Amino acid sequence: MTNQIPNDLFEKGFLTEDQYKKIEPVASGKIVSVFYELRSLMYLGVMLFTTGAGILIYENIGEIGHIVSICGLVLLMLVCFWYSFQHAAPYANGQVKSPTPYYDYVLLLGSLLFISVQGYLQFQYGILDEHLEYSTLVTATVFFFIAYRFDHLGILSLAITALASFWSISISPQKWYSGNFFTETDLHITGIIFSIGITGIALLLDWKSIKKHFTFTYLNFCLLIFFVSAMVGLFDDAGYSIYLVLIYSGCAFSWYEARQNKSFLFLLYAFIAAYVGTTFLLFDTVLANAYEFWLLYSILSCGGFIYFIIRYKNYFARL
Amino acid sequence: MKFAYNETNLYNLQVIKESKSWMKHHFISAEQFQKISEAFKSPLYHPNLLIRILLFIAALFALSGVTGLLSLFVLSIGEHELFISIASIFYGIGSFVFLEKLFIGQNQHYKSGVNEALIYHACGFTIAGLLGVFDFNQHTGFIVSLIVLSFAAIRYLDLLCTIAATLTFAGLAFFEFYNIGGIFQQIIPFVFIVIFTALYFFIKKAKQQEKFKYWQNNLLIVESLSLLFIYAAGNYLVVRELSVALMNLSIEEGADIPFAFIFYGLTVLIPVAYLYFGIKNKDIILLRVSLIVLAFSVFTFKYYFSLGHPAITLSVAGLALLAISIALTNYLKIVRNGFTRENFHTEKWANMHAEAFIISQTMGGNQVTVKEQFKGGGGGFGGGGASGDF
Repeated sequence: MTNQIPNDLFEKGFLTEDQYKKIEPVASGKIVSVFYELRSLMYLGVMLFTTGAGILIYENIGEIGHIVSICGLVLLMLVCFWYSFQHAAPYANGQVKSPTPYYDYVLLLGSLLFISVQGYLQFQYGILDEHLEYSTLVTATVFFFIAYRFDHLGILSLAITALASFWSISISPQKWYSGNFFTETDLHITGIIFSIGITGIALLLDWKSIKKHFTFTYLNFCLLIFFVSAMVGLFDDAGYSIYLVLIYSGCAFSWYEARQNKSFLFLLYAFIAAYVGTTFLLFDTVLANAYEFWLLYSILSCGGFIYFIIRYKNYFARL
Repeated sequence: MKFAYNETNLYNLQVIKESKSWMKHHFISAEQFQKISEAFKSPLYHPNLLIRILLFIAALFALSGVTGLLSLFVLSIGEHELFISIASIFYGIGSFVFLEKLFIGQNQHYKSGVNEALIYHACGFTIAGLLGVFDFNQHTGFIVSLIVLSFAAIRYLDLLCTIAATLTFAGLAFFEFYNIGGIFQQIIPFVFIVIFTALYFFIKKAKQQEKFKYWQNNLLIVESLSLLFIYAAGNYLVVRELSVALMNLSIEEGADIPFAFIFYGLTVLIPVAYLYFGIKNKDIILLRVSLIVLAFSVFTFKYYFSLGHPAITLSVAGLALLAISIALTNYLKIVRNGFTRENFHTEKWANMHAEAFIISQTMGGNQVTVKEQFKGGGGGFGGGGASGDF
């Protein structure tokens, strides 16, 4: 069954002949786009290579082959960066289109090799041995520079991750559930301060119109860290009211940013955080010791919530 | 069987979705899209993906509350197993009716998140109840699940139910032959290849037909899964490990599974054939599946004939992939044989923000070597209550 929609629209006069001729081959599969396939392959290539190289540099240390391969990696890294600088478009505050389709991946490869090489130097020569945490700060600095200079969202998120890990916060859902949070008593406070601080910087940059399209990534990480930290505080600390206030203000902010950025993701965060916070509050105060109400509560709250979303669907569609 | 939605509304929704993606890729102007979306108005409620997720979660919570209350009620009447099973069937069917009458009929929901929650909920209780009635017999279990899931997949155009139904079908085929025993167990791979090849070509035919035009995505999923099953049935690693695990086959040193050479051959041939026909027929599904199974074939051979240097293998494979994909990207600068490197489709998750997040999640691991030596810091960040559960 070939797609009839272009035909139908053309016959009814919604498409010009020119447009129809462009759209029809794509819709009917005469022209096939392998855009995502190529990108996935490149991404996979970078991932496999850097993983392999990352293991390789810690094997057979001291042998000739080892030194050669390290030199090779450094050389490859330099080539990647050289290529990036050679082909880079001049810096601009707005979004910059990649000069070639694989440019982003070459840059990514170079940056990931930088981590590997840096880790190796650390390991072998003990640079910064006394202050190991500063090495992540170095990574973060270099990555922020790369991200801004070459306009690379992926490296920006790596930079934010590195900066967060300098503060011992690891941004990874995989680590959240395996990590033992409760032994590190004040990490959630660090998380809250960190996310508020970075959000402030991100909003300032946004206001100054410096790389406005980066704001989403900043806010996404910050909101995640903020809500998780605040919830840990809520469940963990005796005086939870402060965290409840934090969660509600976070939700208000998230809602506001959702409207600003037209982002449904932020809306999702706001709703879930507010629901968890409110449920916690209710069962700690009004409904304490009334767990038989749980079933009724889930029906009423979630049913009401669904009704609310559908009732105001036009608002949410426009958001 | 017909789907549960109004056909004109569904068609209009598809027109709007399609023209939106054209607008995003600058085939048509925003004004044109405006005009089209006014002419093809659709009252169907089909929110965007994140709202759907939100509604899905909320609906599941609400349903769990309803289920809890009803089960308290049912258990207070009687605790006989048959009674509970029949109650469960009625509850499941009731959920289907509720979905059709209230959400699809009255409120025009189409894949809204609430729909999905109700569909899976209804399938679950109907199947569980029927299983209980049939005393958890595996044989009928497979058939019952297949019927209920296929019903949901066809009537509500649901994709997850389609996947589940196809998997159940494969499970049924495997189970039937496995239970006969003897030589029938050994020919399971060949039976699978025959069944799913037939299914594949049947689906290819069905996709061409006008009357199946609203099931294109469902057919596409069955098509891809059929290709994967054909490959898996011929893959040496799958056959060998399953033979050892399920048929108590013991392979002595130096010996091999029966018909080993056939499976070695198929492991190589099937991906190559997929790739060849994918390119020749400009079939993106064959092409995508071929890439996945090609990688698995490489893994299969590395698994049994490893040279013992995983790091080198990874690096070389990565470099090769990079080189090939960069060369291909260069090669497809112009449209060749109908293939282009330009982007014409909007994939839901394939935006730049999602990609950035994936990069930070998968590549961040390279920093671990540094972090492991941390003296003071490096703590995990545990979110005890982040699940939204109580």
